[in-house]
Amino acid sequence: MIVAFPHMGHLHIVLKELFNGFGCQVMTPPPVSKRTLELGAKYSPETVCLPFKMTLGNFIEVLEQGADTLVTCGGVGPCRLGYYSEVQKGILEQLGYQFNMVTVEPDLFDVIGKLRQMTVGKNWREIYCSFQQAGAKMGALDVIEQQLNIIRPRELMPGSADRIGVQAVQAIDHARSVNEVKAIERSVLGELKRLQQKPEFKPLKIGLVGEIYVMLEPFINQELERRMGQMGVEVHKTMYLTDYVRTHLLRKREYLDHYKVLSALAKPYLGHYVGGHGLKSIARTIQMGQQAYDGVIQAYPFTCMPEVIAKNILPQVSEDLDIPVLTLAYDEQSGEAGIMTRLEAFVDLLKYRRQRKAAAQ
Amino acid sequence: MQARIGLPQGLLYYQYGAVWERFFRELGSEVIVSGETTRETLDAGSVLDEICLPAKVYYGHTAKLYHQVDYLFVPRVISVQKGQYTCPKIIGMPDMLRTNIKALPPIIDIDVNLRQSSRNLYQSVTTVGKMVGKNAITSMAAWYKAWTQRDQPSTCLTNAGQQPSVALIGHPYLIYDRQMSMSVMNKLQQMGLTVLTPEMVDSRTANQAASILGKKIFWSSSHHLAGAALALMTGRNPVKGIIFMTCFACGPDALIGELIAQRASSLNIPCMHLSIDEHTAEAGFITRLEAFTDMLTRRWRQ
Repeated sequence: MIVAFPHMGHLHIVLKELFNGFGCQVMTPPPVSKRTLELGAKYSPETVCLPFKMTLGNFIEVLEQGADTLVTCGGVGPCRLGYYSEVQKGILEQLGYQFNMVTVEPDLFDVIGKLRQMTVGKNWREIYCSFQQAGAKMGALDVIEQQLNIIRPRELMPGSADRIGVQAVQAIDHARSVNEVKAIERSVLGELKRLQQKPEFKPLKIGLVGEIYVMLEPFINQELERRMGQMGVEVHKTMYLTDYVRTHLLRKREYLDHYKVLSALAKPYLGHYVGGHGLKSIARTIQMGQQAYDGVIQAYPFTCMPEVIAKNILPQVSEDLDIPVLTLAYDEQSGEAGIMTRLEAFVDLLKYRRQRKAAAQ
Repeated sequence: MQARIGLPQGLLYYQYGAVWERFFRELGSEVIVSGETTRETLDAGSVLDEICLPAKVYYGHTAKLYHQVDYLFVPRVISVQKGQYTCPKIIGMPDMLRTNIKALPPIIDIDVNLRQSSRNLYQSVTTVGKMVGKNAITSMAAWYKAWTQRDQPSTCLTNAGQQPSVALIGHPYLIYDRQMSMSVMNKLQQMGLTVLTPEMVDSRTANQAASILGKKIFWSSSHHLAGAALALMTGRNPVKGIIFMTCFACGPDALIGELIAQRASSLNIPCMHLSIDEHTAEAGFITRLEAFTDMLTRRWRQ
C-alpha cells in the first residue's frame, strides 16, 4: 500500500508525518506545477472550482508514479468539496487507473473506521503519538509563516526572511520528535527577530479572507502573501491549517465560541451559514473594519459558491465600515501580470487613503 | 387592509410557488407574482456579479416587484429534506437582495430548515402567519389546505415507441422558464422527440436509482436530478439520449453533470451538455439541438 494525498500549502509535511507514524509507505505528490494544473483542468468538468482541478491533477501525477491509495476528505455540503471524491474517483477510473480511494468523512465513527484500515498492527498509543508529532509540525509551520508575514515588509535586505523560511520548512520536514520541532521553531523565530529592520516604518495592514485552498496554496494564489510583503504590506491571513483543524475537526471550545461571535457579527449581512468560509469572510471583514485595518483582500476560486455570495454582499460591508475590499477570483487562466496590476493599484489606493487621513488629522 | 405579498417567479417558485400562493390567499392576503421572465428581468439581474443565471433572474424579478408590494416573500430555504441542503445561493438569497437593493419592503425571510427534523416546517408556517397577523391554528389550517391541494406532478414513464425519447435533465427553474431555456421543451418536441423531465420521475424511483451512487448527493434538487437521470437511463424503457441543461457557473451541476455523463457513457447513451448564460444566442443553441436530434433519430432508426 502506497498512500498519497493532495497538496494544500504545507499540508503534505503534516500528512506525511502522520501516515509515516501509522506505518504506511507514503508518496508525496510532485510539487504543484503548471503540469498539475493542466492535467487537472483537462479532465475536470469545465466550471468546477479550482481546488477540484488541482487535487485531480495531484492524483493523476501521483498515480502515474505508482501510488495505489488516495486519501482525501469528504463533507456534508452545501459546499462542493464534500462531493469531490466521488466524482474524481469516477474520472480517474475512466482514465484507467487502479487505486483505492479513502474518503474521510467529518464523522467520528467514520474517522475511527478509516484509521483502523490504515493503521493495521499499530496500537492506539502509537497512533496518538503520530498525531501529536504531525500536530506539532503543523503548529510550528503556521507560527513561522505568521511571523514571516510580519517581518517581510519590514526587513532591510529583501528576501532574507524568506530564505530563513525555506530552510525552516525543510528542517521541520526532517525533524523526528516533538522536541526537535519545538527547538527549530524557537531558533527560527529568534533568527527572524534578529534580522535588520527598516527604522520607523509603519507598513500598511491588510487582512486576507476567503477560501482556504486558495489562501493556503502559494502556487495558486501566485504567492500573494510574499508579493504583498515585498510591496511593504503586513498581511494578516485569517485562515491557517491549524485554525481549520481545530475548528472543524477537533471542534475545540474556544474556536467554536469564536465562530459564534463571527456568526453574530455577520448576521446583519448574512443570516445563515452558506458552506465553506463565506460567512467568515464577511465576519472577518467586519472585524478588520472595526480594528482599523487599511484594507481587505478576498481570494477564492472562480465559481466558488459560498465566496460568490460573500462577494455580492461585501460591497455593502465595505461601504458601511469604510474599508476597501479587493476581490480576487482565481482560475487556471489567472495571469501573473493581471493579478500584480490589481494588487499594485489596490496598495496605491490604500497608501493614498492613509496619507489623506493623516493630512486630515 | 389586505397585505400585498410579492412572490418573485424564480428559483424554488417552480416547485413550491403554487402552494405558497394558495397559502397566502387562504390567510386573506393579496398575492402578486412577478410573472414570466423577460429580457428586462435578465438585464436587471446583472447587478449581481459572477453568480449563476437563475440567481440573477430571481434578482431581476424582485427588482420588478418590490415597488408594488407591502412584503416580499423570499423564504430562506435551507433544507427541504433530512440530511440535505438546497443550493448555497438559495440560502444566501435574502441577504444578497437586501444588500443590493436599497429601500426594499420588509422581506419575509423565515428559515425553512428540515435538515434535522421536518417539524421545523410548522414553526416556519406559524411564524409567517404571525407576520401577516394570523394565529397559529389559522396558519396551520391554511398551510394544510394549500399543501394537500398542490398539483401532483404527472408521472408518465410509458412512452409508446413512435418517437425517440430524450431526457431533458435540468433544474425546474431553468427548463420551465421559457426565456432562460429558450423554450427548449417545445423546440425538442417540434423536432420530433418525446421529452421526459425529472419531474416526471417520482421521488421514490429517483431515490432508488440514486442509491447506486457511492455517496448520497447532499443537494436535494441535484439529488433528484441525478436520480431521475439514472432512472430514465436504466428503466425498462431507457431513453435514447440525455440532454443535461445547466447554467454557466452552477455549482452543483458542474459535478452532477459529470456524474451523469460518466454513467451515460458507460451505458452507451449519447449525452449532450447544454450550458447557457445571458449571452447565449438562440441560433447556435438551435443548431446544437438539431444536430443532437438528428443523431438520435438516426441511431434510433437503425
